[in-house]
Amino acid sequence: MIETMELLPGVTLRCYTDSRFKQGCLSFQLVRPMAAEEAAMNALLPAVLLRGCRVYPDMRAITGRLDELYGASVGALVRRVGDYQTTGLHCGFMEDRFALEGDAIFAPMADLLRQLLTEPILEGEGFCHEFVESEKKNLIATIEAERNDKRAYAASQLMKLMCKTDSFGIPRLGEKEQVAEITPEQLYAHYQKILHNSVVEMFYVGSCSAAQVAELTRPLLAGLQRTPEVLPPQTPFRACPESENEEKMDIAQATLCMGFVTTVTNQSLHFAAMQVLNMVFGGGMTSKLFMNVREKLSLCYSIGSGYHGSKGIMTVSAGIDTVQYDKVRREILAQLEACCSGDITDEELQAAKEAILSGLRGVTDSPGAIENYCLTSTLSGLKLSIPEYMTAVTAVTAEQVAAVAKTLKLHTSFFLKGVGE
Amino acid sequence: MMKMHYPKLDETVYRCQLPCGLTVAVVPKPGFTRKLAYFVTDFGSIHSDFLLDGQEYHVPAGVAHYLEHKLFELPGRDVSAEFAALGANVNAFTGYDMTAYYFSCTENFEKSLALLLEFVSTPYFPAESVVREQGIIDQEIGMYLDSPEARVFDRLMEAMYRRHPIRVPILGSGESIREITPEILELCHRAFYAPGNMILCVVGDVDPEEVANIANRVLGEESRPVAQKLRAWQEEMTCPEPYTAQQMEVAMPTFQLGFKCEGTDMGEAAIRAEVVGDLAAEALFGESSALYLKMYESGLIDASFGGGFETVDGGAMVTCGGDSPEPEKVRDAILAGVKVLLETGIDEESFLRMKRSALGRRIRDLDSFDSTCFRICAYHFSQFDYFQFPKVYAEVTRKEVFEFLTRVVTEQRCALSVITPI
Repeated sequence: MIETMELLPGVTLRCYTDSRFKQGCLSFQLVRPMAAEEAAMNALLPAVLLRGCRVYPDMRAITGRLDELYGASVGALVRRVGDYQTTGLHCGFMEDRFALEGDAIFAPMADLLRQLLTEPILEGEGFCHEFVESEKKNLIATIEAERNDKRAYAASQLMKLMCKTDSFGIPRLGEKEQVAEITPEQLYAHYQKILHNSVVEMFYVGSCSAAQVAELTRPLLAGLQRTPEVLPPQTPFRACPESENEEKMDIAQATLCMGFVTTVTNQSLHFAAMQVLNMVFGGGMTSKLFMNVREKLSLCYSIGSGYHGSKGIMTVSAGIDTVQYDKVRREILAQLEACCSGDITDEELQAAKEAILSGLRGVTDSPGAIENYCLTSTLSGLKLSIPEYMTAVTAVTAEQVAAVAKTLKLHTSFFLKGVGE
Repeated sequence: MMKMHYPKLDETVYRCQLPCGLTVAVVPKPGFTRKLAYFVTDFGSIHSDFLLDGQEYHVPAGVAHYLEHKLFELPGRDVSAEFAALGANVNAFTGYDMTAYYFSCTENFEKSLALLLEFVSTPYFPAESVVREQGIIDQEIGMYLDSPEARVFDRLMEAMYRRHPIRVPILGSGESIREITPEILELCHRAFYAPGNMILCVVGDVDPEEVANIANRVLGEESRPVAQKLRAWQEEMTCPEPYTAQQMEVAMPTFQLGFKCEGTDMGEAAIRAEVVGDLAAEALFGESSALYLKMYESGLIDASFGGGFETVDGGAMVTCGGDSPEPEKVRDAILAGVKVLLETGIDEESFLRMKRSALGRRIRDLDSFDSTCFRICAYHFSQFDYFQFPKVYAEVTRKEVFEFLTRVVTEQRCALSVITPI
């Protein structure tokens, strides 16, 4: 279903041609190894590009153009996929067939993307200073605002503590101190460098054929002198010493986060069993954590687990009353122990598998989900098509789930608790 | 069933009303794998006063939400586990003026649909399980108390409204939920979960007739009386507290600004009012406005800024919000900006561009099953066929938008809610 073309060395265009949708999407991403020196620059870059280009010199002009294109959108796309960070832009637009009197949308949209990427507003040897300074302020505010969402804040603190010596500990948007140091010249030089030597992934979902998309996006690549570097392969978790941590905040509800490590990653034979374990253990409303810690013991409203397959990390997070810390922690470990000892009913196993299968079947129903699945699976080392993934999940047995559960070791915990408690 | 085709949207809807009074709407999506069903009652957190069988009732705040939690139990059966066994993903939410139960699946659609209809229409509230839910909802309330986004909005509602129950959070409070008993849950279920007060909406590659047949089979043919809502909510178009602030663990001040509007009528007038309100908000502070650019470039707002027009049973408002170092200055800039806009006006070409953009975004949004289901249900309760929206956009005029701005965006109707760092 996906047609893949190499448009230039290291520049891959993947097209998923499908006319069921009312909107199409096109993304352009530079893939970088996650590195403390450049994470902040990669996060800042798309925000600066979205401030203006030669023909549309400010945000109002860009939005005016997007309005003409029937409310099309273009946004920053900064992802973490295992050891990689991607930076670029993502466009969403109504399919031409819904426009009036033969108006075209996709072709001018591809051209707008070209202008934003290749005709930024420059000042001397760098990007427009005003744009860079104001987007630095915004990015710092975004990084600081992570504290506002206590669950997200606790989860990210856990990752920082657990992955002190792994790229996973570098925040997706970089550190605010690094953002503050970026100069317009440095950012522009970095952009020029990564445009020429990074792996580039372009992804299209919509009604056009791959040949048409290639034709429309070619001008975007016209000026690039490509000398692409090869991406280093994804690496497993690089351990630092284990730790237990806590922090106080003036909050009504405490958050407990626990991080477990495993040797099972996306590249392992047993990755599907680990996905099933994650569902059985804490993946939804029928998981052991939900049924026991929430429904049976009424200790929390939200509780769940997540598996980061590119690294081999499983996390558990629960919003609880500070005084219940010991009880909740004990209960979480007891539920994991139940998984290890094979205390998994047929119903639990089937429900877990069905949840994953159903999610996979539904991927092809949304342009965004298609783009996300395909790119993440390509870059994270999973490299499985949806049918292949489904076959692997279907074959998982309860014994295999128990076996992978035993590989999990508690590594780091983080407790965000209320002051005075 | 009645079939309606909407060529501009390339969509078809099948509709009918069953003998029991339930409205059924089905949007077939050939070629898609996912199927989504919403079973929704026209009853939300604000409907705590009503008349049933000639008697007046006043129930505690948070009851609609509590009821939503407790309906997931059937005698001796675990509803979530049954959905999970079918491979369906079930959930629910309670809003100010509606409560929705929904599932999505790729297989076993018919069994899942029957289960959805069964559990929502079966009141079963054992006393110890009702008490146990308090611990869970306490934690949910705690989660919202720590969420600046939720707090800033709840406080804005308190600041804007004197009587309208939107001033009370949807979940109620730790105290109010302790007054909720199995009898009260049963009463509210009887009052508002009669099929005549509900809609079933399905989006996906399904057979519409089969959907109606399943609903008919599970719900039976008996139609039951629906409670009459008591709405003693007459509001003056001024805000009791023009400014409210609270300190929380946030990095930068965050705010919500609201302008109070009259409630909308039913039918086409409702969506027309909404389209006018949305376009007015877009013209004043949307991303293509002069004011947005000015505020963004001066650092007064950032990409977190956004807003629009919101309606609720018995009220409406224009709101906007986000993070800002100086929220008071954003308010002042908007109040000054509206004067400038009303003086300079918008040319017809820009207005057409704005309408085209808003229309395009709504069409794009139809790719989302969830948003489509939600909107069909919400507009059904205000008696409008949502898929008629292109016609409304074609008809709305600049004059209406300007009249709206003149009437609504004023200091008297304005309230500002701010959360500041500790």
